[in-house]
Order: sequence, then structure tokens, then C-alpha cells
Amino acid sequence: MKILVIEDDRTTGNYIADGLREEGHIVDLMSDGKEALLQASTTDYDILIVDRMLPGLDGVALVKTLRGAMNQTPVLFLTSLGGVDDRIEGLNAGGDDYLVKPFAFGELSARVAALARRPRTTQEEVVLRAGDLEMDLVRRRVTRADQIIDLLPREFALLEHLLRRKGRVQTRTMLLEAVWDISFDPQTNVVETHISRLRAKVDKPFEKDLIKTVRGSGYRIEE
Amino acid sequence: MKPLKARTRVLLHSTPLRLAVALVVLFAIVSLASLGASYLVIRDSLNQTMESDLRQELAGFQAAPSAGAVAQLINAEAAVTDPERRILSYLTASGKHFGNGLVAQSREGFRVISLPDGQDLSEGKYLALTTRLHGGLLTIANSRAQIEDLGELFLSILFLSLLPTTVIALAAGLLFARRSGRRIEALGRTLERLTEGDLSARVRKMDGRTDDLSIIAAQVDRMAAAQQSSVNALRQVSADIAHDLKTPIQRVAVLLNRAREWPDLPDQLGTILDEAGRETTGIVATFQSLLQIAQIEGGSPKNRFGPVDLGALAATFVEVYEPAADESGHSLVSDLPGEGAATVSGDKGLLGQVLANLIENALRHTPAGTSICVAVSADARAVELTVSDTGPGIPPEERENVLRRLYRLESSRTTPGNGLGLSLVAVIADLHDARLELASNDPGLIVRLTFPADAQKTD
Repeated sequence: MKILVIEDDRTTGNYIADGLREEGHIVDLMSDGKEALLQASTTDYDILIVDRMLPGLDGVALVKTLRGAMNQTPVLFLTSLGGVDDRIEGLNAGGDDYLVKPFAFGELSARVAALARRPRTTQEEVVLRAGDLEMDLVRRRVTRADQIIDLLPREFALLEHLLRRKGRVQTRTMLLEAVWDISFDPQTNVVETHISRLRAKVDKPFEKDLIKTVRGSGYRIEE
Repeated sequence: MKPLKARTRVLLHSTPLRLAVALVVLFAIVSLASLGASYLVIRDSLNQTMESDLRQELAGFQAAPSAGAVAQLINAEAAVTDPERRILSYLTASGKHFGNGLVAQSREGFRVISLPDGQDLSEGKYLALTTRLHGGLLTIANSRAQIEDLGELFLSILFLSLLPTTVIALAAGLLFARRSGRRIEALGRTLERLTEGDLSARVRKMDGRTDDLSIIAAQVDRMAAAQQSSVNALRQVSADIAHDLKTPIQRVAVLLNRAREWPDLPDQLGTILDEAGRETTGIVATFQSLLQIAQIEGGSPKNRFGPVDLGALAATFVEVYEPAADESGHSLVSDLPGEGAATVSGDKGLLGQVLANLIENALRHTPAGTSICVAVSADARAVELTVSDTGPGIPPEERENVLRRLYRLESSRTTPGNGLGLSLVAVIADLHDARLELASNDPGLIVRLTFPADAQKTD
């Protein structure tokens, strides 16, 4: 993927750029808002990673201008502020996701992957599958190898979220947001606990583990 | 729109109408005084004229040489005099009466008299002058109708001058009151919105007139603008500070990460790096809380408020903290109402933070084995959230201090935590018009938040 990183702090910028390059992306790094706006308007990128506070032109104004010019490239905001106000302001300006500093690279990488493959499907899937695991969303029933698995509502929601994003890493903060609707980090291992309960029901009794732990990042379901 | 009754009351109490009424009353008093004085002066002079008239008349009869002559003169005069205007009466010593009316007056001098009934004459009063003449009593009385008419005339003048003034003044007063009422309402609405935290509220220009109200409106707008810019400045400052502090923290996190991925990293060093990473997270959490308190106190608008099911939110957070409670040997229980039974108007994210902080505090400051209970209850007027524990509690004299920013009880210095938890809870409670109380749970601490019930629901 071709990614433009707009970040005025050299250390953070290099860290992001190096990490993304290691993952095989093509990365341009810029630090000035105005120059970056020109660059983003003239070059076709798959994703923009934009710091909220930039010299020249701040991140929100930059994205607003781009959106005003009908540029729909997905935007991930990086911010020092973590308040709900700032989050909403960022998303209203046309940002697609929002990451509060400091963040681990795994978190950034997972969110970039999520943005790049934003669900474009309009048709609603009724049955989600991974290997021999089946989730029937209409009957709210989960089976693996034709055995019915009983799940609590939260476990069901967690599994559904992972299945819908099969193959993509979901970090614990992403899961907290999506499954528990909590936009701050309560510093508990509630995600880990639920994942292990889910594993005990979905993976343990069977031969192959479907739910993988990605070290330093999060979890992912693989075929 | 307010109900008609309330609007009428507001109108009747308005300044312009009160001014109009006061002016009318003042005008009435002045008119009454000046007209009254004129009346008295004119009446006096009329009286004097009448008295000298009577004396002159009497002098004419006194010139007669005998009682018989007087009687003759009286009769002659009486024949051509209308008794409604003037009465002539002569009562001789022998009791014989001459004249056009009988006045039984024995004392000499001026008298105001009414004619006895039966004499079908004027109903009004007369001014009578009586004198003794040749053994008899001669009385000449002039009708006072003229003077009495004068009184009525003056009353009519008073009435005619007061009525239009009163009507016009009151009508004008009402008109102005309605006009200024609308403007005062506009002022009130703006102030209300400003109080609620919508700092972009302005009165704006008022119909192009410059009077005291529009001056006040302009001043309110100026004040709001100043407030807004200072809040914006505060926001900018917090944003700058956040940026300046978070950037190095981000760098530290980056460096720690790089170190952690070093090949052949000794286990001990790995432990140290993990510890450093946790400390960084702690710094960020404290900083985040401080920022959030500053932002909320700097005027977080309530326009993002929506109905929040406090029961469901509490259930989520009990679930989120269950693993942590298990790990630390606490028992976390809940007593929650059914779905939608306890709804408050608020910001879901902030209320979640309240729950997180209260549960986290209870977990941190109570020993293993302590039971922590999260309860939500609701009645028609209020929704109550309590987080109670059976731990060591807080001494009564320390309870107020706990809500102060960065304050921590001396005895809890050794337990982790940054002391901001309850301060943030207090600030968020305040934003939601909720009452925050700390009380003893005998033993332990009970934190109680009382929210006004969601108005949209109870309506």
C-alpha cells in the first residue's frame, strides 16, 4: 500500500514510517501541513496518517480541505488529546479513525490494515465462516464441526467481530471499542479474559486453533 | 411559548408598564391638587360676591320707616323674584309672614340653610342673611346652586383631563412592555444558553434601536465573546501542552519498544523494560485525567448529551472489571435495574469513566477479600448510582479532601493510583447536575451519585 505519513515529530514519524516499510508498504513522510496538503492532493495514496497538530496547517483543517475537494482517501488521525470532544471533532472533519498518543506500533498497524480494507460490501452476510466454524447470525447459533457451541452474548459479539474481520489483527483497544463500546482504556484484562473463555469453547475441544494471538498487537482469526 | 398566565404576569411586572402606572398616578395627584386649589379660590370669591350682594339688598329694606312699609316692599319685591334664585322673608313681631318663602331664622347674620320640606322650591342650599327690623325678622337668602354647580364642573374637568391621559399612558406602557419583554426574553434565552455552556450563544442586534436594553445586549454579547475566547485559549493551551508532553512520551514509548525487540535481550532487562512501559502508561493516564478535568471545567458544552441507560452502562463496567477483581481477590457484585429503567441525560463516555474510576478506586484501596457492590436504582425524580465496599473506608474529616485534585490519603500513598480518580468523578458529576456524596458503609465507603431523572423520559 502507498501511505502518506504527516507527522512533525521526527522520532515518531521515522518510527511509523520504518515500521510500515518493514511491513512492505511504500511510505512518504512529511512534516509540514501545507506541503503535505499539496502532496496528498496531487498523489494517489491508499491511506493518510495525519497528526492533529502540525506546523503550517493543522491536521483537521488539512483533512477538511481534502474532503472538500472530494478526496476520499481513508484518514487515520494521530492525536495528543484523547478527550471525547477531540475524537468527535476529528471524525466530523472527515477522519476515519483516531489513535491517541502514545501508541504501540501494533495498534497503528492493525488500524491501518482495518482502514485499508474498510468493509465495502453492501450485502449483509447471514452466515460467517472460518474453517469448520460457522456462525449463523439469523438463528444466533455457532457450530464447529457440526457441534453446537453455547456462547454468552458478549462472547458471541466478540467472535462475530473477529469473524467479520477474518485474517486482520484486532487490538484490545479496537475490541474494547467495538464489543464493549468503551473509547478509553480501562487497563483491565477484560479482553484477554473473554478471549480465553472464547478459546476454551471454540478452540480447546478441537484440533486446530482458529483464534491466534499476534504478539504485541492483538488477536486474529485464521482459517 | 410560555403559558398565557405566566406571560401576563411577566407583562404586568415589566418596567415600562410600572413606569406608566406611576406616571399616571403622579399626574392624577398633581391635577387633583391644582384643580382643587382653583376650585377653592373661585368658590371663595363667589361666596364673597354673594355676601356683599346680600348686604346691599338688605340695606335697601332697612331704609323703610316702619314694619308695614317693610312688609309692603317685601311683597312687591317677592312678586317679581323667583324663589329658586332668591327668597325674601319678613316675619313680623305679631307672627305675620310676608315674602316668597318662609325662613324660620331667629339669629342675625349669615347662615347656609336648606329650606324645610314642603316648600316646593329649590333642593339646593341657600346663603341667608337675617337681621332684626322694626321688631320683625327680615331674611334674604340667595341660592347657592351656582357654587354647587362649580364643584361639579371642576369634577368634570378633572375626569376629562385624567381619562385620556390614563388610557394613553397605560396603552403605551403595555406596548413598550411587550416590546421590551420580547427583548428581555431574548436576553434571558441567551444567558440561559451561556450558562448551559453553549458559549457561541449571542443576543445579536435588536431592531436597530439603541436604548438601555440593546446596550445591555451588546455587553452580554461582548462578555460571551470574551468568555468564549478565553475558553478557546485555554483549550489551545491544553492542546499545546498535551502535544508538547505527549510527543516525548511517544518517543519514550518508541524507544522502549525498540529496546524490547533487541535480539538476545536478557530476561532481567526485559522485565525492567516492561516496568518502564507500565510507568509510561501510568504517566499518560494521569496526564489524560488532568487534561480531561481541565477541558470539562473549561466549559464542555452539554449539547452532546443524550439519554444514557445507566443500568446497562454499569453492567458493562462490572463485566469489564470482573477479571481484575478476580485477580486481586475482590468480589464484585451488582444490583441493577432492568434495561431502560434508569435513564439519565448525559455523555455516555464520561459516565463510563465515572463507573471505571469508582470501581478502580474501590479495587485499589481495599484489601483482598473485600466485597464491592455497584448498584443503580431509579424513581420518578432521580436516578441513583452507588459504588460501595466493605474496606477500610475514609475518615469523615478526610472525605472533602478526597475530591480535591491530586489529593491522596496519607495511608494510601503506598497503593498505586494517581489520586485523580475521584476528582474527575466530581467534575463529571457536576457537569451532569448530579450530587456526589461520600458516606460510611459501616464498614467501608459508599460513593453515591444522584442524577436528576431524564426529563425527556418523565415528560
